Amino acid sequence: MAPSITRREALGGAAAALFVASCGGGDPPPATGAKPGSGAALLGSLLALERASFAAYSACLEVLDGQEHQQVHAMRAQERGHAARLEQLIGELGGEPPPGRSAEEYRRTFPRLRTVADALRFVQDLEERQVRAYLEALTELPDLELRKEAAGICGDESNHLATARVLQGLPAAEGPFVTGAL
Amino acid sequence: MADQRDVELLEDLLAREHRLLSAYEAALRRDAIDASLGETFRGHEHEHVRALEQTLADAGRRNPRATVPSPELTAALRDRNAFAEFAEELEDETIRMYVDAAASVRDPELRRALGSVMACGAAHVVALKDALGSRFLVN
Repeated sequence: MAPSITRREALGGAAAALFVASCGGGDPPPATGAKPGSGAALLGSLLALERASFAAYSACLEVLDGQEHQQVHAMRAQERGHAARLEQLIGELGGEPPPGRSAEEYRRTFPRLRTVADALRFVQDLEERQVRAYLEALTELPDLELRKEAAGICGDESNHLATARVLQGLPAAEGPFVTGAL
Repeated sequence: MADQRDVELLEDLLAREHRLLSAYEAALRRDAIDASLGETFRGHEHEHVRALEQTLADAGRRNPRATVPSPELTAALRDRNAFAEFAEELEDETIRMYVDAAASVRDPELRRALGSVMACGAAHVVALKDALGSRFLVN
């Protein structure tokens, strides 16, 4: 089944892409001191995306309530855990985690979120980008244990993506292969 | 080209996907799952089976191992809640297998593809939780 993209979805995706690129998700990570090819730089990119998502969900929570608030709050807590784990892994590789940005710096890059629908659409777009980033990391990380970490987090992000879709009344999965094909 | 260990991992995943496919087919026959949801999941599992069989065939394997029907499935077919709980557990176990496989296989593009199947499984778990009326969809 070929996924269809509405104009609204395309616009929402563009907003998320702009946000992620401007707040660190698309930035090259700083030099870390870890050995070249260790995977630390890629983990730094994933960390930037996790931090950006954490900040974005804080903004989303301001317009959500009830079950939607509860679910996104739980996602945000997991993103914090992922960020902490990535920082630890970068350190174990001899690197220095990138410094990140302040909440205010992130906030300036957010699209305007007026409604519950805006917030959930934004969450979905960010989760799609995270799933894609972790799938990409599976192809590039050089070490088996690092790939296991990435695969485990990818599972969490896939759960978040499906949750965001269900909260919007969409099918949990868009198709048999999420953001890819065998 | 997949090596021997990769082939064994893929065969294990294929056996799992056959179990899931059989479970959703049985649930549809017994009205133990919402028809629309069950048909969607059956379609996904069918695609996963097809893709894994093709990958194994490309690696020179023509006779994947036979699967054994789950003894728990019959009991789970008594009502929709029982089946959703059974299927959620089966999907969760399968996701864990995909996490291992998506990290372990040698071919980088196959790792990505297996990850995308895992992501679909994670979505199935969310949908099954929703069908059970769970307020907590996030793991």
